[in-house]
Formats: sequence, structure tokens, C-alpha cells
Amino acid sequence: MWVTNLKIVGVVLGTLALYTLIANEIPQVQSEVPQTLTLGTNVTPEQLVAAGEKVFNGIGGCTTCHGLGTRAPNLLTDETGTGPIGVRCGKREPGKSCKQYLFESLDNPTAYVVPGYQPIMPVMTKQLSPEQVWAVIAFLESQGGTVDVTASDIPSTTSTASSTGGGGGGGGGGLAGGSTDPKAIIQAAGCLACHKLEGQGQVIAPDLTHVGSRRTADSIRKKILDPTSSIAKGYEKLAGIMPKTFGAMMNAAQLEALVQYLAAHK
Amino acid sequence: MADGAVMLLQAAADSTRAYGEFPVIGARAFVWITAEVHLMFAAFVLGVPMFAVVTEAIGIFGGDERYDRLSKEFTRLLLVAYSATAIWGATLVFGLSTLYPRFWAYLTAIFAPSMWVYAGLFFVESFTLYLYYYGWDRWKKGRAKLGHWTLGILLNVWGTVVMFIANSWLTYMMSPPRDITPTTDPTTIKLWHAIANATWMPINVHRVVANVVFGGAIVGAYASYRFLAARTDEERAHYDWMGYVGNFIAMSALIVLPFAGYWLGREIYQYDQSMGITMMGGFMSWLWVIQAFLIAVLFLTGNYYLWIGMGRIPGAERFRPYTKWLLIILVLGAIVWGTPHTMIADSKELAAMGGSHHPLLGALGVMSAKNTAVNLMILTTFLSFLLYRRANTRPVVPWAGTGTMIQGAMFAIAAGIVLFYGIRGYFVEAIVRIGFSVYQVLAVLACIVCVTVIDILMARGAQSLGAIRWGKMPARSQYALFILAVTFTWLMGLMGFARSGIRQYWHVWQVMQDTSKYAATPALGYASKMISLCVLIFLCLVAFVFWLGGLAEKSTFVAPGAGDEGGGRGDRHVGH
Ligand code: HEC
Ligand code: HEC
Repeated sequence: MWVTNLKIVGVVLGTLALYTLIANEIPQVQSEVPQTLTLGTNVTPEQLVAAGEKVFNGIGGCTTCHGLGTRAPNLLTDETGTGPIGVRCGKREPGKSCKQYLFESLDNPTAYVVPGYQPIMPVMTKQLSPEQVWAVIAFLESQGGTVDVTASDIPSTTSTASSTGGGGGGGGGGLAGGSTDPKAIIQAAGCLACHKLEGQGQVIAPDLTHVGSRRTADSIRKKILDPTSSIAKGYEKLAGIMPKTFGAMMNAAQLEALVQYLAAHK
Repeated sequence: MADGAVMLLQAAADSTRAYGEFPVIGARAFVWITAEVHLMFAAFVLGVPMFAVVTEAIGIFGGDERYDRLSKEFTRLLLVAYSATAIWGATLVFGLSTLYPRFWAYLTAIFAPSMWVYAGLFFVESFTLYLYYYGWDRWKKGRAKLGHWTLGILLNVWGTVVMFIANSWLTYMMSPPRDITPTTDPTTIKLWHAIANATWMPINVHRVVANVVFGGAIVGAYASYRFLAARTDEERAHYDWMGYVGNFIAMSALIVLPFAGYWLGREIYQYDQSMGITMMGGFMSWLWVIQAFLIAVLFLTGNYYLWIGMGRIPGAERFRPYTKWLLIILVLGAIVWGTPHTMIADSKELAAMGGSHHPLLGALGVMSAKNTAVNLMILTTFLSFLLYRRANTRPVVPWAGTGTMIQGAMFAIAAGIVLFYGIRGYFVEAIVRIGFSVYQVLAVLACIVCVTVIDILMARGAQSLGAIRWGKMPARSQYALFILAVTFTWLMGLMGFARSGIRQYWHVWQVMQDTSKYAATPALGYASKMISLCVLIFLCLVAFVFWLGGLAEKSTFVAPGAGDEGGGRGDRHVGH
């Protein structure tokens, strides 16, 4: 009987071990707590950099363009011999410090367009809270330069911060100051960084000028809320590029205004 | 930042400390283990009474004494399992109130009355159990027996209500009604409003079905242990049969489980799109790959057990050649089901795949393909059962040939419908596609019901090719039952992690944030170690319970005519 008992124990432990092993073999993704709330007035540069790295790789969506090699300049690695971003940031525009230049890159990306690239970079200060923006700047500075971002850079006005609670929830102000003018929303959301509409904007994503003839209002709404829900024909390779954060950035009235506006583009 | 201000307010208003710490393993691990093991025992003491009542009824109305004894044997195990459930439950409550005091205070502020009812019902439930077990031999005949059976039903009713109450607490944490915000004073929340939240009913249904599966699987493992320990042929025959019944119940209920799962998933999406996305495509996407693997193990092992079982059935040789085709369908189905949909990948992997949807994942990873695969696997498993049932009989009704043909046609039509909508699904919008899964499911269910009815009619007066030789099973079949039990238990732990993990860093989704140092939700590797640990603790305790059951009383198995010597000897070896 002892042999049988041992066999049973063996089967049980073997099965458990197999499952544990498989679960440890797959990529390990941990769900982090958003860092924004912890940036107090006495935040250290190290904390800023760590928080910025998370924003860069996560909610900021920077890696959809940066780091792939061709679409946008490398930031963490060398870019055509000028070094990583922390080294070259102070030399881009005469009279602008590294910190100023990086903020401008996020706040008004078309003010200085890196030669050889299209001006498709979205306005990040519209999508991210000031904490997140400054954390990312600290992180970029740490890539070969010195971090001089401090808590005093972060504006104390808390009203403009878009909470990172994970979407849904309250109506909130919404982007573009809550305006329901579809053109303002499109401008603020940065759709034209990827799409063309009535001759304006970029061509990496489908031209939206006649989107109303391809999709119903429902389908456009779904597409904005959950871009993976349906992929545009012929653009399968670019699936996943369209940011998933629009639903959390707009309030319901804005979303409706935008959807109706696009659906009318037959 | 608004959240931050609210949290400061909360902290100021509430002077109790927010979190405690547990030595060595930490607060989260402590609560994790106690909650999970408590839940496994709870599932056991809910699943097994369902099992007991059904088998008792078969005994009463079918007149087969064996079922009555089987039922009693299980009720005996329940006695000890009950106290284990209560002990782990109490430990969990102490853990929550000392380690997560502020969160616990919040929950009690809303749910206190339901907690008192819960405790009261637990009392009533235990006393019903005592009456049910100790009255077994007293109320054995006629009306008294029916009264006894009613006690068994009551036991299930209490147990189910107790579970529904507990479910309301944890589903509230997942999906608090939308009008409740971080600033809502918990004492102003209406109790029923909090209980009847979006995921409450789907979880209730899901858990009831899962408990049946679980009860059956544990019964199967118990029987297989007794089978391996048995000394006499009669005893072996008894436990072989018991293992078969346990496995049959587990597998039949398992077939219904995915449907309950779809419902739950849909409610989650409807409640909060972003929660749904986190669950299916976000940081949890890999979890479903593991789940698919476990389900595949369940289907394959369950079918394997049936196929070996055909060896003890005279006449089953006829069906042997089919099993390899069934196996091929199952394996293909498992592979498709296991293909992930959207993966979290870093930029290098993204570049290599050309976007976050790999071309192959795009084709196989979508819901259309998965639904098709799982429906075909269910049909295949049903076919296995059918062949098994059919194995030792030859129908004599004049329309037998036509009947079999009709059955075959039904299978073909059901499979055809499943495939048709599976392929159509690629050409329509997601919204329409979700509707398709309903047609697929209906086709499969209709096929199962109709084929079963025909089969029952056809089996009338069928010529027997010889009785099933219970007990003539190779030992490896019994190890298959162990694998099934371990896998079911592990799967339960995994799904529990998924359910609890999609809340991420919230105690109560978007209402009360977890600000402890354990707020981040761990990756699957760590979770799997915790799950394995919980399963191990649970199985050791269950083995102990079984062993106690053997100590207290001899096995209910009585060798016909030969006295109970054999049973007594087998008992000494229970447990390890
Ligand atoms: C839609 C694609 C896209 C996304 C998303 C994007 N960028 Fe950019 N970014 C670009 C392109 C293209 C350029 C070069 C053209 C320019 O300067 O506008 C650029 C330029 C920059 C530069 C200046 C680089 C230099 O060499 O001077 C910085 C800094 C930068 N991005 C940071 C970020 C950060 C941080 C994020 C995430 C919060 C981000 N970007 C997200 C496309 C993108
Ligand atoms: C970072 C780039 C990017 C941004 C910013 C972006 N999109 Fe897109 N979008 C894409 C890509 C790539 C596709 C094609 C692949 C796909 O369907 O996902 C797409 C597809 C679409 C489609 C479907 C088009 C069709 O022909 O079916 C719609 C509608 C759409 N986007 C609307 C929007 C709106 C509205 C915004 C602004 C709120 C926006 N997108 C911002 C990249 C982007």
C-alpha cells in the first residue's frame, strides 16, 4: 500500500508542479498601481524617474512609436550618433535647456520637429496629468543626462489633472476644456497625428474623410472606446497602434459629438 | 488628484489604522491562503450535499440500495468538513479584521445585517446536517425516509443561501452599483442595493454549477483512493462504480459551466468596459492560456477515463476504433482554444509580430474560433459518453437503425451549425458575432437533449451483451481521477485569482483604493505558487478528513453475504 500512496502523492505533486511551472514560464506581467497619487511635495528625483519609466512604458503609450526604429526617434538608445535623449536634449534648440526642450516636445511637439520625421507626435500634455508629464521628463533626462525636475515644476493646480483611475467613472471635465466642438476635440485628442480628415493630418492610419460611409455611428463609437474591437480593413498590421485611452479622456457629450460628426462624413 | 484628496479625507475621518501586518508571509498572502482554503472547503460542503441528495433520491425512487449507502458515506465526510470550513472561515474573518481593518469596517458598515443572517443560517445548516446524518438509520423506511430526504434538500437550501450572501460581499467589491462613489458614506448605502449588484447573480449561478463539478471530482478522487486500497473484488467493484458516478456528475456539470462563464463575462463587460478589457486582453490575457490548458487536461483526462472504462464493458470493442478520431478532435480543439487573443508585449516583440495582433493569433485567437472549438469539444465528449452508454447493449426496437441514423444526423447538423457560425463570425461586426455564440450553444444543447431522449427510448428492452464488470479497471484509470480532482481544484484557485485580480489596486472597484504595500496585483508566476500551496493544504486536510471518516466507522461498503471483513481491512489504509 505504501507504494500506491507514494504514487498518489507523486501524481498530485507532479500535476501541481507542472501547472506552477507553466505559469512561471509565460511572460510575467504584474498590474502596477498608477504612481500619480504618490508624488507629494517632497518627491525625490529617483521616485520621479521610477514613476516616469512606468508612464513611458505604460499609460503614456510612448512605445507604440518610440523604440521601433523607424516611426519616431529612439529615446532610450542612441539616435544617429547624437546619443540617447538625455544627452542630446539640451542641444536641440539654442537657448532651451534640456528640461524646457523636453516639456516642449510633449506640450507642443510640432514646435520643433526632429529632421527626418513626420510631425505625428500627439500633444501629450492633453492626455497625461502634469505629474505624469514631469515624471516622464525626469525619466528621459535620466537617459544619459542629469535629472533636474523637482516637485516645484509640477503645477499645484489639481483641477487640470486627469485622474488615471482606469476610465469610466464620473463624467469629469473632459479634454479641450470640455468643449463639444468636434473639431476642438479632434485637435485636442490628437487624432490627426495618425489620421487624415478633410485633407489635414497624417496618413499612417485610415483617412477619416469618408468614414461615415464605411461605419455606422455605433461602430465608430465602439472603435473609439475600444480600438481593438474591430480593425480597419487593410490596416491589420497597425492594429493596436490606436490609443486605448480616448474613452477615459472624453466625457459622454464629447464622445457623442465626435461620433456624430464623424458618422456624418459620408 | 481628486482621488487623493478624497483618500486624505477618508483617512482623517477614520482614525483606525488602515492595515496590519502578518509575520513572514505578509498580510496579503495570509488572507489569500485563508480565503482560498476556506472557499475550497465551502465548495466541498456545498457540492457534496447536492451529490448526496441526488444519490439518495436515486436510491429511494430507483430502489437501488447502493445509492443510499453511497449517499450516507458522503454525509459522514461532511461532518468533519463542516468544522474545517468554519475554522478557516473564522480565521479569514480575524485575518481581515486585523490586517485590513479599514476595509473591513467599510464592508461591515454596509453588510452587517446580512452577516448576522449568515451566521444564523450557518447554525441552522449545521443542525440540519446533524439530523440528516444521525437520523439516517432511524428514518429509513416509507414516509420517514421521504422526511429524511427533505432534510437533505433543506441542507442544500441553507447552504446555497449562505453562499449567495457571501457572494454578495465579494461581488460588491467587484462591481459596486454605479451611483456609489468614493465619497458615499457606506452607512447610507441600502443593503439590498449593494447585494443586487451587476455580477451577483452570474457569480451565484457560476458557483452553484462549479460546486457540483467540484463535489463530483472530490468524490471521484475519494473513490479512486478506496479502489486502490481495496483488498477484495467486491470492494473494488463498489469503488470503481462510485468513481464512475463522481466523474460522470463532474463532467456533465462541467459542460454547462462555460455558458455560466460567458454570462458572467458579459456582465463584467457591460458593467465596465475597461474591466472587461483588463480581464481578456490586458495583463490577464495569459491567464486564459493557462485556463485553456487546464480545461484541455480536463477534457482529455475525462475522455481517457471513459475510454479505458470501455475495457470493462463487454461489447465495447466495437467502438474502439473511433476513439482515436475523437482524440484528434479534442487535441485540435484544445490548441485553438488555447490561442491567445491580444498579448501584452514589449516593443521588440511588437515589432517582430507586426502589431499587437499576430497574424496567426488574429485568425485563431478571436472568440469565433474559440467558441467553435469548445463547442466541438463538448460534442465530442458527449459522443464519448454515448458510446460508453451504448457499449454493452444492442438495441432491439425495430427503428433502431433509423434512430441511430437520426442521432448521427443530429450530431452532424449541430457540428455544421457550430462551424457555420464560427466561420461567419469572421465576416461580421463584433456585436453581431457575440449573438452567434448563442446559436452555437443552442445547437449543441438541442443536440444533447434530443440525442439523449432518442437514446433512452432506444435502450428500452435492449439486448445486453453482458454486465459491466465493475472493478475490472487498470490502476492508471484511477490516477486519471486524481489528476481530474487536482486540476479542478487548481482551476478553481486560478479563476478565483482572476475574479479577484481584475479589481487590480482597488478593494472596491473605483470606490475604495488599496493603499497597502500589496496593492499591485502580482503576476501569474507568483499567483500560481500561491494556488499550488492552497491546493496542497486543502488536499492534505481532505485526506485527513477521509482518514478520520475511515477511523470513525467502517466503510459503508458491505460485501453482499460475505460480512464486512474486506471493507474493514481496506479501511486501515485510508490516508497517507
Ligand atoms: C504617434 C507616435 C508617437 C507617440 C505615441 C509618441 N511620440 Fe514622441 N515623437 C514622435 C515622432 C514622430 C517624433 C519626431 C518628430 C517630432 O519631433 O515631433 C517624436 C519626438 C519626440 C521627442 C523628441 C526627440 C528628439 O530626439 O528630440 C521626445 C522627447 C518624445 N517624442 C517623447 C515622447 C514621449 C515621452 C511619449 C509618450 C508619453 C511619446 N513621445 C509618444 C512620435 C510619437
Ligand atoms: C497613434 C495613432 C492613432 C491615433 C492618435 C488615433 N488613431 Fe484611429 N486608428 C489608428 C490606426 C493605426 C487605425 C487602423 C487600424 C485599426 O483599425 O486599429 C485606426 C482606425 C481608426 C478608425 C477606423 C477607420 C476605418 O476606416 O474603419 C476610426 C473610426 C478611428 N481610428 C478614429 C480615431 C479617432 C476619432 C481618433 C481621435 C480621438 C483616433 N482614431 C486617433 C491610429 C490612431
